[in-house]
Amino acid sequence: MKAAARRRLALGFLLGPAYGWLALTVLLPLAAMFYFSFLTVAPVGGRIAEPTLRHYAAFFDKGFYQTLTWRSLKLGFDVTVLCILLGFPAALALAKYVSGRWREALFLLVVLPFWSNALVRTFSWTTVLRDDGFLDRAIRVLWPDAEPLGLLFSYPAIVIGLVHAYLPYMILTCYISLQAIDDSLIEAARSLGASSLQLFLRVVVPLSLPGILGGVLLIFVPVIGSFMEPRILGGRTGIMLGTVIEDQFTAVFNWPLGAALSFIMLGIVLVIFALATPLLRRRLSGI
Amino acid sequence: MSAVEVSHAVKRFGAVAALHDVSVDFADGEFFGLLGPSGSGKTTLLRAIAGFFELDAGDIRIGGVPVGDRPVHRREIGMVFQNYALFPHLTVRDNIGFGLAVRGRPRSEIDAEVKRMLALVQLSGLEARKPRQLSGGQQQRVALARALVTRPRVLLLDEPLGALDKRLRQEMQVELKQIQRRIGITTIFVTHDQEEALTLSDRIAILNEGRILQIGRPAEVYERPETAFAASFLGDANFLDGRVLDRGSVAVEGLGRIPVAGALPEAGATVRLAVRPEKFAIEPAGAGNANDANRIAGVVRGAIYSGTSITYRVELRAPAAGGEARTLTVFRQNLAAEPLAIGTAVELSWSSANTILLRS
Amino acid sequence: MTGGSAWGKWTVRGYLLLTLLFLYLPIVVMTLMAFNRSPLYQLPFEFDFVWFRALAGNDRLIQAGLNSVGLAAANMVVATGIGTLAAIALDRYRIRGKALLQILLFPPITIPWLIIGTSMLIFFFWIGIGRGLHAMLLGHVALSLPYVIVVVGARLKGGSHQLEEAAATLGATPWQAFWRVSLPVMAPGVVAAGLFAFAVSFDQFVISYFLAPPGVSTLPVEIYAAIRKGFTPEINAISALIILVSMGLMLVFARLYRFGGER
Repeated sequence: MKAAARRRLALGFLLGPAYGWLALTVLLPLAAMFYFSFLTVAPVGGRIAEPTLRHYAAFFDKGFYQTLTWRSLKLGFDVTVLCILLGFPAALALAKYVSGRWREALFLLVVLPFWSNALVRTFSWTTVLRDDGFLDRAIRVLWPDAEPLGLLFSYPAIVIGLVHAYLPYMILTCYISLQAIDDSLIEAARSLGASSLQLFLRVVVPLSLPGILGGVLLIFVPVIGSFMEPRILGGRTGIMLGTVIEDQFTAVFNWPLGAALSFIMLGIVLVIFALATPLLRRRLSGI
Repeated sequence: MSAVEVSHAVKRFGAVAALHDVSVDFADGEFFGLLGPSGSGKTTLLRAIAGFFELDAGDIRIGGVPVGDRPVHRREIGMVFQNYALFPHLTVRDNIGFGLAVRGRPRSEIDAEVKRMLALVQLSGLEARKPRQLSGGQQQRVALARALVTRPRVLLLDEPLGALDKRLRQEMQVELKQIQRRIGITTIFVTHDQEEALTLSDRIAILNEGRILQIGRPAEVYERPETAFAASFLGDANFLDGRVLDRGSVAVEGLGRIPVAGALPEAGATVRLAVRPEKFAIEPAGAGNANDANRIAGVVRGAIYSGTSITYRVELRAPAAGGEARTLTVFRQNLAAEPLAIGTAVELSWSSANTILLRS
Repeated sequence: MTGGSAWGKWTVRGYLLLTLLFLYLPIVVMTLMAFNRSPLYQLPFEFDFVWFRALAGNDRLIQAGLNSVGLAAANMVVATGIGTLAAIALDRYRIRGKALLQILLFPPITIPWLIIGTSMLIFFFWIGIGRGLHAMLLGHVALSLPYVIVVVGARLKGGSHQLEEAAATLGATPWQAFWRVSLPVMAPGVVAAGLFAFAVSFDQFVISYFLAPPGVSTLPVEIYAAIRKGFTPEINAISALIILVSMGLMLVFARLYRFGGER
């Protein structure tokens, strides 16, 4: 049949390049990395590699890696929770308390930094948080004798930088959920006698849960794997699973170990996804 | 301007047969309506004529020439879509002139034709507007002008007035008919609105489930539907089931002997009759107008006042077979000031000429 | 929300403003300081272009900048091209595994870029592609594709299929219909996607970082190296420039995406 063959040709031409590219640059490399994680050394430059499980074993043997993973998970948790606490009210404000041209403009303003250069944004925090930087000077305006806060190169600085980077994500996903809530639902609830608090807890929060959960998934995963922000803002205290993995590739050149650690991280991420999906489905089914 | 012939068209989409051996001839210059519920195949038939897909069996001729192997752009048709499908990035002028532009006509000719078309649809002066700056009715006229400018052989309309409000729709119906008369182009249009089909068409075809049930002029199809489906889809009908008594009458349980014109099957066979609600005369019992043959007694059980008419639900004295109450729907033109009260005893009568014999 | 006190309304709006303040504070500070003559943030503020002029003499940064721009431009062309094709296919055709195809677009966005970058490093080295601008292009296009497909796909949803049908009934061959109708209607979406792809590449750090060989780098990678070495006000200046460029790009994208000549 000519028509079916023509269709297949067209689909191949249209979809082939894009998905072929993705296969070559994302799927195959991941597979390669998986393979590497089971080798003793990286088989480049004429070196012979043997299969081994010792890199994975190292994760379970050395407490160091587990502490590190725990730190990274905690970082992810802290950042995500802060993003929810700070971002949800902002999204609520945008979705329900502002309207018309203001809403479009403010929405754009919120999202704009997010789509700009992440490295530069992180760097900009160093200028604010450093000793005698903007923050210290601002505090000294009110309390002239204050000591430098010493925020830079500390855990709080990392958290601040990451929250700043990913907050717009949470605001975005919550906003999409919240603005889909029909005003008539709220009016109906009020006409049934709900107070503002009840309205909030019983109507708004449940309906915006998909947005919150979406934001959580989009934030938690990259934060766990971050290395740039911890290094720039945390200095020596900024050692996370991400920075250790990065080390394997840029300083130590132990690629198989880096690969193994990466897959362990990926595994953790998948486990979290797997745990979250039934939760999500249950919550979403009522929508 | 050409006639269109469809013979034994069959089209399947997956397991569903959208067209089942459909045959119909559209005469040159006629305004033909395809009427039916959703899924009846009317749109499929229209699109088959347009050429958006090939038939599984059967063929289509335009102007006597088979077009089965011709793709859409070579069939010389004009089509107006349900939501107009105007090109959003082009002005009204470029939209209308599109068909001429793709044929490589010179700019001067295109401009002249566009002007002529705009005058025809009464939108002169709007050349530079974009579709999103036009009202629904204006967009519809632009779509029509665009379809006609290339002087196609056939004009196909897919529920063209569906998106308009009632008043606008009625205005457009009149205009559409006038334009078609003027140009004389064979026009086939699809609608599920029976009133529209009756008003616009020279002939109608009623479709259901991929088959054509009946073709004819509006009055014919309306007054003499052949199937129960046609009787109730086009207009309303009261159904009476009975048994053939002799050459000219049918016995209906509780109503007695009903004279029926037309070819009846042999005595004893069951038949289904229909009488339309507007064919009844309804009088309070004892008013004593003894002109019509068929008379039944009943009681008013419901009355809906619609301004121009009143719809009565009348429960007949004589129950149907099986003992349930039989109710007839009656339309009565609003002549008297007061509608009949619920509970009034009434007498229904109608002329035998209005008893419809259904084939199935 | 309907009902509720006016007082409450303004508190909430005030909070929104505070949030915006938080989001823009460091950027504004950094940008202002880029124009301050003092190298160490000493106030009073003296407006000066000194650090920008120093930039002009910094050959490393200039080369990195040119690399960034060139890479971003190449990325824009490639990603937009093949992404648009894919978006057309996903919109037009009923494909049996369509859901799967759409899920396959997620990995570049949801997997930490650290992992994507390091896996690319491994794979490219292994099969001989190695590091360099060409490798970075491979990576950037992969990252941009999901965004391009989504942006163009959203634009296509406006039913361009029926427009092509209409064009066909008017006598246009499939090619004419594509050229005269589908393409122009798609254009704003494609341009918006192109801008997005440019920005994604221009701002990309992680992938470029791993795929940059010694001597070749992009602007973000250079800046990172400079930050690790120690602060100089020139970093400030180039950072301010970059952020203004990328925010500017995004502004244009936003306008195009929303007001793309749709009905």
